[in-house]
Amino acid sequence: MEHNGIEKVNGKQICTRCIYDESVPSIRFDEKGVCNYCHMVDNLIEEYHTGKPEGDKTINELIEQIKKDGKGKQYDCIMGVSGGTDSSYMVYWALQHGLRPLAVHYDNTWNTAIATENIRKVLTKLKVDLFTHVINNKEADDIFKAFFIAGVPEIDASTDLALAETMYRAAAKYKVKYVLEGHSFIAEGISPLGKNYFDGKYIFSIHNKYGKLPMKTYPLMTFSKFIKWTALYRIKKIRPLWYIKYSKEDAKTFLEKEFGWQYYGGHHLENRMTSFFHSIYCPQKFNIDYRNNSLSASVRAGQMTREQAIEEYYNQPPYIEEELLSYFKKRLNLSDEEYDRIMNEPPKYWYQFPTYKKRFEQLRPFFYLLMKSNLVPRSFYMKYCFPVGH
Amino acid sequence: MLRTRVIPCLQLVNESLVKTVQFGKYGYIGDPINTVRIFNELEVDELCFLDIRATLEKRQPNFAILHQIANECFMPLSYGGGIRDAETARQILSIGFEKIVINTAAFANPALISEIASHSGAQSVIASIDVKKNLWGKYQVYSHDGTQKEYVDAVTWAVELERLGAGELLVTSMNREGTYTGYDTDMLRSISEVVNIPVIANGGAGSVQHIENAIRDGKASAVALGSMVVYQKKGMGVLVNFPDRVELEKTLAQ
Amino acid sequence: MGINKITIVNYGMGNLGSIVNMFKRIGIETQVCDNAGGVAKAQKILLPGVGAFDAAMSRITAIEGMREILDQKVLVEKIPLLGICLGMQLLTDGSEEGQLPGLGYIPGETIRFPVSDELKVPHMGWNLIEEVNPNPLTKDLPEEPRFYFVHSYYVQVTNPYHRMATTNYGFDFDSVIQRDNLFGAQFHPEKSHKFGMKLLENFARL
Repeated sequence: MEHNGIEKVNGKQICTRCIYDESVPSIRFDEKGVCNYCHMVDNLIEEYHTGKPEGDKTINELIEQIKKDGKGKQYDCIMGVSGGTDSSYMVYWALQHGLRPLAVHYDNTWNTAIATENIRKVLTKLKVDLFTHVINNKEADDIFKAFFIAGVPEIDASTDLALAETMYRAAAKYKVKYVLEGHSFIAEGISPLGKNYFDGKYIFSIHNKYGKLPMKTYPLMTFSKFIKWTALYRIKKIRPLWYIKYSKEDAKTFLEKEFGWQYYGGHHLENRMTSFFHSIYCPQKFNIDYRNNSLSASVRAGQMTREQAIEEYYNQPPYIEEELLSYFKKRLNLSDEEYDRIMNEPPKYWYQFPTYKKRFEQLRPFFYLLMKSNLVPRSFYMKYCFPVGH
Repeated sequence: MLRTRVIPCLQLVNESLVKTVQFGKYGYIGDPINTVRIFNELEVDELCFLDIRATLEKRQPNFAILHQIANECFMPLSYGGGIRDAETARQILSIGFEKIVINTAAFANPALISEIASHSGAQSVIASIDVKKNLWGKYQVYSHDGTQKEYVDAVTWAVELERLGAGELLVTSMNREGTYTGYDTDMLRSISEVVNIPVIANGGAGSVQHIENAIRDGKASAVALGSMVVYQKKGMGVLVNFPDRVELEKTLAQ
Repeated sequence: MGINKITIVNYGMGNLGSIVNMFKRIGIETQVCDNAGGVAKAQKILLPGVGAFDAAMSRITAIEGMREILDQKVLVEKIPLLGICLGMQLLTDGSEEGQLPGLGYIPGETIRFPVSDELKVPHMGWNLIEEVNPNPLTKDLPEEPRFYFVHSYYVQVTNPYHRMATTNYGFDFDSVIQRDNLFGAQFHPEKSHKFGMKLLENFARL
């Protein structure tokens, strides 16, 4: 509905190009009603020449460098795999370009059978080796429960950080200098610079305060470890999807046909903690529905009309897998009363707990140099090394 | 004809799935229920769970986990670990497990096997023997998760367990476990030749060829797989899997 | 007849939990009954069984009115009944395992497997079934249907028209039998994942 040139849905201004509305943190609209996140994506495409010959040239040069540095070694790059579309396709893409990857998976023990089976099908057919770190399932639950009791949004932060640490450990073990990540700002959109934040000290603080079991098998990335991997071991992070032409839809179809890979319907059903985070925890406790990320991305990429996206996002609730909630409560040993009580408690946020944030900000020049050498991603630098208004 | 049974044998330590090498240190494999769901997808014929530290840690079987496992599985299940009396055995069978596995308890209380067999049938009792080949090539039997030497040799003990009423024998090579070097077919044959009940080979499988050797040379009736079904391959990451069915059937065809 | 609730007879022998679970997985409601009153209301009956023949027959007849209500439901009202493993053997006239007569619903004998060096007893493990007469139970099963068996005795029906499927263990024995509304399966469908699910679904949809 247009009103004075500003388009609104449910009384909130909405971008005229994607579907982010004014409630998205740090959002601004230009005179045409297009949001700054759309502009950010445009700028990244221009900077990285995504899907254009210059982009291909850049990534091909990187590939040659990776091969050169990997001569004589068992593997020349590390790739994180989750069983999902992007990471599965990336392994195929790597082999097509003559790379010799080692696939790495961090198992937080909440995987569904589909995820594990997808990993197995793709890696077996492509004959790619797998390195894993599996946390003790009871310890995993203790950390998740600590975050749940704390009432902070980042309930799955421990998984994300552990994957990063596991990839670095694998890289160090096999003397590999490159970690390839399947992140795509086109397919996933730009995460709003919002309230969410995590680092090793944050995870440690939450677990220290609310956890019960000692942290023994969880691979915690402390600050010194982070510096060790980046500045000392100089392990670089490359994101091929920032350079090449990539369609998630085409990738899915290809994976299904080639490997018998299975799509879990876009509802994060590859891991039940991720599912819980997206379909129950964020919408119900924080009134945040992250579907706008991928839907906006789909609209910008022309894979979906804006009307379809608006319909799905604003008129349909997030899909909740049957028995997801009972699985969550059972694993974390929560009665219905305890669960409801904790869900209804007021949320807390990362800045109420000890973190490394100040340290990242103070060492900004140092991290600027690391970013210039591809040792930390640009998105990391922007998010961690600058103060965030809260 | 009867298909040879190929049984993933999963190790539990209380509520976590683990995998040992040569009865030593263990690595984490994951959540038991999630893993069972994958084996359901893979349509394996049978599953065996052993709580390897229950006796050592003086614990009872964890009935909560066993209930959940039985609810998830639609294939035959066996459980062993810390079963010391007939009542516990009965409880486990009634939860939905087809068979119980007895190891350490049989030394202190041999009559336990007869008691369970007479009530629930011999086919519900698997007697488990952990065997270590010593420097002189003798097969010594161990109890308490391989920590206590029992002064009897494997063949003699196997014959005795059959006499007591066990329906099957699970024979594990402590030396070979987790090594991917193949089963100890000499040891298996020496036992299969003197008992009439089925012998399940355990410890050392790394390939479908090893499975064939256990049946052909070791004269085993069935095989158990450990590391092979929880790791991608030797020395690599955790990835629940099962040998290709077509390859298995070709290999196991009479 | 359509899909209706399955009444599972609980006479104290048999792994009911797994059977209930499998029906639940395929979306069929069940009710476990240990008395004649419950069975009287049944629209479909499942007779499980694990253990010895005589023990089972004694227990069934010991439940007040149970034998009578079973006869009434299957012989007079002709509601479908499926006997599993020992439950199938109970449908015959008798077994070499015991002294007591069986239910006699399907004429036949239950005989001990011959002991031999090659073929160990009990017959335990997965084996193929071969349909010899078309019947609703084995209709549309996945290719190469196999099921989990564990038994020391096998059934031989008197009338070959009651033999629906056979399985080979040294020789062909009856693995699925049927007489009108009465069915028997020697194997354990509740332990035979997708094959068992399809068979139980067929029974539920009779």
